[in-house]
Amino acid sequence: MYSGLNISQTDARPMYLQIMEQIRQRIAAGDWAAGRELPSIRVLAAELRVSVITIKRAYLDLESEGVIVTRHGKGSFVAEVNGLAGELQEEKLAEHLTAAAELARTLGLTPEDLAKRLERARRSVEKK
Amino acid sequence: MTPQNHIELRSVRKAFRYFTLDDLTLDLPPGQIMGFVGPNGAGKSTTIRLAMGLIAPDAGEVRLLGHAMPEHQAIAKRDVAFVSDDMKLFPHATVGWHMNFIASIYPGWDATYAATLVKRFNLKPEQPVKGLSHGEHVKALLLLSLARRPRVLILDEPTSGLDPVARHELLSEFMDVLRDDSRSILFSSHNTVDVERISDRITFIDRGRLVDSRDKEDFLERWRRIQLQLEPGAVLPELPNIVGRVADGSFVTLTTNRFSTALIEQLGSAVREVHRMSLEEIFVASVFHHREVAGS
Amino acid sequence: MNSLTYKLIAKDFQQHRLLIAGTIAIGLVSLLVAGGGTTLLFNLGMLCWLTAIAAYGCVVAMLGIATERKERSLLFVLSLPLGYGDYVRLKLVGLMLCFFVPWAVLTAGAVVLVLAAQGMPDGILPFTILLCGFLLTNFSMVLSCALFARSEGVMTLSIIVHNIAISIFIFLIGPIPAFRDHLQDPAPTWGSEFWTVLAVEGAVFVVICSLPYFVAARRRDFI
Repeated sequence: MYSGLNISQTDARPMYLQIMEQIRQRIAAGDWAAGRELPSIRVLAAELRVSVITIKRAYLDLESEGVIVTRHGKGSFVAEVNGLAGELQEEKLAEHLTAAAELARTLGLTPEDLAKRLERARRSVEKK
Repeated sequence: MTPQNHIELRSVRKAFRYFTLDDLTLDLPPGQIMGFVGPNGAGKSTTIRLAMGLIAPDAGEVRLLGHAMPEHQAIAKRDVAFVSDDMKLFPHATVGWHMNFIASIYPGWDATYAATLVKRFNLKPEQPVKGLSHGEHVKALLLLSLARRPRVLILDEPTSGLDPVARHELLSEFMDVLRDDSRSILFSSHNTVDVERISDRITFIDRGRLVDSRDKEDFLERWRRIQLQLEPGAVLPELPNIVGRVADGSFVTLTTNRFSTALIEQLGSAVREVHRMSLEEIFVASVFHHREVAGS
Repeated sequence: MNSLTYKLIAKDFQQHRLLIAGTIAIGLVSLLVAGGGTTLLFNLGMLCWLTAIAAYGCVVAMLGIATERKERSLLFVLSLPLGYGDYVRLKLVGLMLCFFVPWAVLTAGAVVLVLAAQGMPDGILPFTILLCGFLLTNFSMVLSCALFARSEGVMTLSIIVHNIAISIFIFLIGPIPAFRDHLQDPAPTWGSEFWTVLAVEGAVFVVICSLPYFVAARRRDFI
């Protein structure tokens, strides 16, 4: 089961974080569907030429985030409940809204102005 | 399957005329790769030779696959492969001769895998060993070791003198070995980048003594460089686990081996940046700290 | 493991096969020269024959042990499934075999020469046999030294000492009346002195060959 993940040597972030992000991306994009089995820890370690302990850590952290579930003796699977896709999108939405609120304040918009602008944007998206 | 450690050293001591290895305790469980790092002359080769039974400890215990060393090395070595960068094959024979020789000794020899490795490492069976470059020689030794599928691989500087392509190939083969969680690898190396990447566990050694030995991720999590900018007249509180301190005017760089968010809170607003450290930086800082503490 | 020691012995033998063949060739030619009829040819031939065997012994001990250590192929051998005792044993047996083959051929050749050559009195046969026996015993000492010598200096000294020993043997044993007086006899005399010297040679050979086993049993460091 070829994973297609990639570890960059020049990326300053720790390897386990890179792995986690790439797995999250694939899940969020829908490439790795809910319920899909993840490569076994040793297989992925061999494929990426990264230590087993690093993969273990990535999987453990992903599990504690609820992104994947590990069934003892069976392997790790993409979590069914909540779809990570939804969770990530939620985070993104929160970020965007905060940014919008800050910009609105800079521009001096009133809360009603902001709400009107949001409604306009929502309608234009619906038309697409 | 095998709960016992593959390699075990307990308070091992070995004295030479100008160097003593002392109080060395080391464990390698199955399914793990241990990277063994130390300055030149620290005792890496000595430790490896003790593990292989080539020299006997003055005190302490050495066990390889559960067998007491050096007494039972003939049995232990049936399942262990050893490659050292100062090891050479028989000069009068060819690479192919050696392959047949090893195949006839070890029942685990995988001829198909051997053939694959010959191609991958770009070796020629009919070539006499005399004519091999250092890198090719090491690759031949590694081929002979990998193709017999030993339970334990003990490697002393296996990638020294290898070009980046060969190193890449080799690391892939090592990680392939670890697909089987009943096998393990101990390798010593100066190449901290490789060690950082593929080791599960890392052991630092300096001047014949163990400096530190723990999971790689542990090392990477515990060590940080913290950059501070102090207000004029401000004094840093005395904090534990600060192993390095470099001051340049109002800028101070602290090195800690026990990072925690609590530490950052204690340092407060003076903190400008917190950086993780590469294994190489951790290694150097560890050794210097260890030497300071040892008083040498 | 027994099969491993056998393979390593075979490897040592194979490695030296050219040397073995060459020594036999030189030795046989020397014997032919020695049978040429004149005293000069006899002396020349026997000297060459003697030198061939002695020199070969030194080369075998050096190549088989010291060079292997220097060339780092020793580490490769040590990575194989054998212990220190196994290694000492296989080196002893293997290299002794490498020496024994040409020695046996050239000893037989010398005996044939003495018996067959016209102008040569058979009376020199006992001394010749004792000399051959001494060469074998001497080699066993060179080999044992090589197994435990840690430096090239000691090794070289050992070779020098053992080469001198050959001359000493000839000068000490040769003039003994029991041998010297019968050198020109048409028939060999197997006196008690002959059997005594032969027995001593045999005893020393056995003791020297078993020494490595005892030293190996006590020593625990391969390198």
